[in-house]
Amino acid sequence: MVEPVSIASLWALPFMQRALLGGLLTGALGGLLGSVAVLRQLSFFSDALGHAALLGIVLAILLGLNPTLVLIPFAVLFALVVSALVRRSQLPADALLNIVYSSSLAVAVLALSFVQEAKGSLQQLLFGDILGVSWLELGLLALLLLITLAYGAHSRRAQILLTLDESLALSRGVAVPLHRLLFVVLLAVVVAIAIKAVGVLLISGFVVIPACASRLVSRNFNGYVGLSAALGGCGGVLGLFGSAAFNLPSGPSVVVVQLLIFLLALLLAMGSRKGKPAPGASPG
Amino acid sequence: MAEMILTVEDLTVRREGVNAVEEVSFSLAPQTDTALVGPNGAGKSSLVKALLGLIPHQGGSVQLLGQRLGPQGQLPPAVRAQVAYMPQSFAVPPRFPLSVAEFVALGWDGPRRPRGAVAEALAKVTASALAERLLSELSGGEIQRVLLAFCLVRPRRLLVLDEAQAGLDAQGAERFYLLLQELRRREGLTILQVSHDLEMVRRSCDRVLCLNRRLRCSGPPAHALSPAQLELVYGKGYVPYHHHHH
Repeated sequence: MVEPVSIASLWALPFMQRALLGGLLTGALGGLLGSVAVLRQLSFFSDALGHAALLGIVLAILLGLNPTLVLIPFAVLFALVVSALVRRSQLPADALLNIVYSSSLAVAVLALSFVQEAKGSLQQLLFGDILGVSWLELGLLALLLLITLAYGAHSRRAQILLTLDESLALSRGVAVPLHRLLFVVLLAVVVAIAIKAVGVLLISGFVVIPACASRLVSRNFNGYVGLSAALGGCGGVLGLFGSAAFNLPSGPSVVVVQLLIFLLALLLAMGSRKGKPAPGASPG
Repeated sequence: MAEMILTVEDLTVRREGVNAVEEVSFSLAPQTDTALVGPNGAGKSSLVKALLGLIPHQGGSVQLLGQRLGPQGQLPPAVRAQVAYMPQSFAVPPRFPLSVAEFVALGWDGPRRPRGAVAEALAKVTASALAERLLSELSGGEIQRVLLAFCLVRPRRLLVLDEAQAGLDAQGAERFYLLLQELRRREGLTILQVSHDLEMVRRSCDRVLCLNRRLRCSGPPAHALSPAQLELVYGKGYVPYHHHHH
């Protein structure tokens, strides 16, 4: 059994400070963007992008470049190509995403088998290495959080209306195609930056779980988005403390904490619904 | 004669390679209530979307509140602000985290929303009690009233409804029409509504446009909804649809 380490001694370590800050920023960003992604039914998009990003990482290793800097254009390209394919092929989006995601994952794993130095780091790529997050990555995460907050405040009305009803949004002057695309590109960039910390397999959990937990208990939109970001950030910090204290992998620890938060929200929602009439039961 | 709210001349709209609407011409006088009727697939929704600039049109012209729409449907913001649209089959996903008051506020498309505008809009449609409810918890009739509040949160001149009464029972549809008539009088609205409920159209609208890709007939309900005209629009053997009023 691993000896638990005291929180104070962990906080004194510089890499731990970076990791906690990384967990907080990644979690808050995931919660913030996830709140809209879940309503727009883009949960699978973040999952597919996460898996496809492995190909971007392998490309970076083969080219000898910083994976984070390669992943950003890779993710944006992925978002644009998939959006165009969904629009033009008229195939169901989930089927199309599955094709892109499984094929890029397959190519990435094949390419990885040729890269000697990356063989040992496959697990880190899959499950993340938040303890190894750099100041550059932290700076990018902070910048992205600011951009997301600014864009979210600017496009709040547009995102809600286009999610509810495209015709209604157009009738009120919302530039629907532009806002659809901008959101997907922003989501892609966040996923690309967060991959290092969270890992390919778990990134969608960061986007989807806090948002779903918040949706279960929220009674208005601003509260929903704020709570989703807060739950994401808390899950990130608590998960990392748990990970460091018990020497467990960081990405999975965060996702397990987020799952516990989700289950708590589910219990609260089920409790508050008892005795209430079913939706739409009141007279018209 | 007062300036027309809407003037449409020889409008043609293509959807997926075929003409959904062909060479349609009509105009709407201020403060009138006009129904657009026709069978499924007649091009009613395409026509109203093209009028509002939501989809492009391929021929003819649309003049809305004195401004001509561009071919891609571009509408100047000042004109758009005076027009409201209630879409067909507006459905809110379960647990969509948006309160009624938040939703109605989104209907305001000006620089600054005056304090009290949302409460006033909800009061107009007798939905003040719903302000804090989730949009997804409302019944069909409540949703329609709240959509009306969304549309009328700021003063409008033209209200376009695409089958607003669909999904409502007979009593709900009746209440909705009465509310619409009251708002029309009080707000000085011009209304254009797509409807399948010909009985209601007969009782409440001033004028009917019968569409089946082309405009087949138009005029007051007594003329446009006569059996001979209905057969012209809906084809032989047409049985008019109407709610069973209890």
